[in-house]
Amino acid sequence: MDVVTRKELTSSLILFLFGVGYLLCNTKYPLDQWANPGPGVFPLMVGAVLAILASYQLIQSFRKPKPTEETTSDERGVHSLIGSLREGKTEIKPLIMIVVFILYLMMVKWVGFFVSNSLFVIITSRLMGARDWGKPIALSAGVNIFCYFLFEVWLKLSFPRGFLF
Amino acid sequence: MLSSLLIAFQPVNFFACFIGAVIGTLVGVLPGLGPAAAMALLLPLTLKLGPTAGLIMLAGIYYGSMYGGSTTSILVNVPGEPASIVTTIDGYAMARKGRAGAALAISAIGSFVAGTFSVIALQLFAPLLARSALAFGPAEYFSLTVLGVILLSNLTGKSRIKSLMMIMIGLMLSAVGMDPLAGVDRFSFGFESAQGGVSFIALTTGLFGVAEVLSVLAEKEEPVNLLPVKFRELYPNLEEIKRSIAPIARGSVLGFLIGLLPGPAATIASFASYGLERRISKHRDEFGKGAIEGVAGPESANNAAAGGAMIPLLSLGLPFTPATAVLLGGMLLHGVTPGPFLMRDRPDVFWGVIGSFYLGNMMLLILNLPLVGIFAKIVRVAPRYLMPTVLVLCVIGAYGDNSNLFDVWVMLGAGIVGYIMRKYSYEPAPLVVGLVLGPVMERSLRQTLIISRGNISGLWDSPICMVMWFVILVVAILPALMHYLRANVGSRWGRAKP
Repeated sequence: MDVVTRKELTSSLILFLFGVGYLLCNTKYPLDQWANPGPGVFPLMVGAVLAILASYQLIQSFRKPKPTEETTSDERGVHSLIGSLREGKTEIKPLIMIVVFILYLMMVKWVGFFVSNSLFVIITSRLMGARDWGKPIALSAGVNIFCYFLFEVWLKLSFPRGFLF
Repeated sequence: MLSSLLIAFQPVNFFACFIGAVIGTLVGVLPGLGPAAAMALLLPLTLKLGPTAGLIMLAGIYYGSMYGGSTTSILVNVPGEPASIVTTIDGYAMARKGRAGAALAISAIGSFVAGTFSVIALQLFAPLLARSALAFGPAEYFSLTVLGVILLSNLTGKSRIKSLMMIMIGLMLSAVGMDPLAGVDRFSFGFESAQGGVSFIALTTGLFGVAEVLSVLAEKEEPVNLLPVKFRELYPNLEEIKRSIAPIARGSVLGFLIGLLPGPAATIASFASYGLERRISKHRDEFGKGAIEGVAGPESANNAAAGGAMIPLLSLGLPFTPATAVLLGGMLLHGVTPGPFLMRDRPDVFWGVIGSFYLGNMMLLILNLPLVGIFAKIVRVAPRYLMPTVLVLCVIGAYGDNSNLFDVWVMLGAGIVGYIMRKYSYEPAPLVVGLVLGPVMERSLRQTLIISRGNISGLWDSPICMVMWFVILVVAILPALMHYLRANVGSRWGRAKP
């Protein structure tokens, strides 16, 4: 089975399961009558349409395997998430970025927005290829100063404060 | 027109227009901080200026943000505000080909032309168009949103089924939070922060901004080298200008008409214009890869819609968008009551605001065109410096919407989903369409059924509804019919030929 067909199958299955899950969650909300439709009506309709479309695509994927497409610039040479994880190449950095992002958001409440922001910018810059520490640190300082004056001082948007700043 | 310009050119009004336009452009550039929020924040400042100057400044922020929103869409694939989402499709593609300057310039020119057109149309047709907009009831809105879903399901020309599924997911996400009619909390799973619904800003900055950063990270080590660009290549060439003229004209008219209707008119106008241009363009194969029409049309439409939205406000005192609602609040604070008698009772305010549109559009063009070269250089900044800055601005944008970290988590989740969507060839723009249209669609459907007492024929009773349902059937069935005819009749014809 070629890569494109596998992707179609996987995505169709996920979307079908998402639609079914949504419909199951929707059973909590009343449908009432046509003269006064309840809060469950609209989600029922759209969830059902999604499940139908996803199952249609799933069936089509089984019936007509498509020829392998040329990889587009969006795919950037990676054929599947699992395959590339096995190869251990290009998907590692996005995964690391996601973990860094999660840690950053968890830290904001404890150490405050600007401190966690500083670390986040430095680490992200290094992850994206900065070879030294000087420029990421300078970038981090510049971004924080800009954000502080524009958002906190001028636009009066207050950021979370931690025990540091 | 002359009297409106004379009022707008008075020194304090001129200054207020300039400040409003600059602030509006900056607001539009920053992802997350929309025109309504910026207008609300600066409302106390405008009170010090007097009613005419204060309202001119607020109006300047409103249409300035339409100008600025396209800048980050084109340069870094992060929409500055919802109406610039569709510009990311071709605008960013142009930037990656080294044509960022041309995209920015066409966007500025198209916005100027459309803004000027909408002001002229506003002056000529305000009362008539306002009455026509009032003819739209819940049934008409429901059929309009269904038509929008069908028309926009083929926005990018790739799989229609995939686009429809993404629209459905957008509609499903729009149901999260408080039900608009019964006040029932849906799909929040105990999260109080989710009771207000999925933050539009968080979702879009995640789907476009964060997903883009993750995609750049997944690229190979070697950076994409953009060729050095000569000064004259910063601006559109003759062919790009010629190809932009018709889309700008069409976008102006379409955007203005859509702007008359309640709801996120500028966003819908930009999507509708993109869909239209894609269907009728001779360069259809270029869409999604850097077609200038994909920038010119939508950017004109969203600016024209901003002008169109002023008609219900000034003529009837009805704000149909959050930004015009803040403008209405500003008017009331200044002791000005918009409505049918505004032109008679406060001609200085009415004509001053209209004159500021002309003036403001001109100022924005003069401000933005020379800056095109500077903005275009942003694309050349190394990703290791640009992307962290983009991420921080996305975080602030998502946080600033409700001052809630939960929205930033939503943004991160949307970013991960957006990244996976790219891997599996699903476009995020249709999902945004669903999210935008969902509340209007649900509310109008349920209101129609309530009004018709459960009689489903209430959905197509009126002449406007019948016309729209007919168009829906034609648009939905026609592609499948054409495909069938080409496949079967065409092959039979081929066999019959000697």
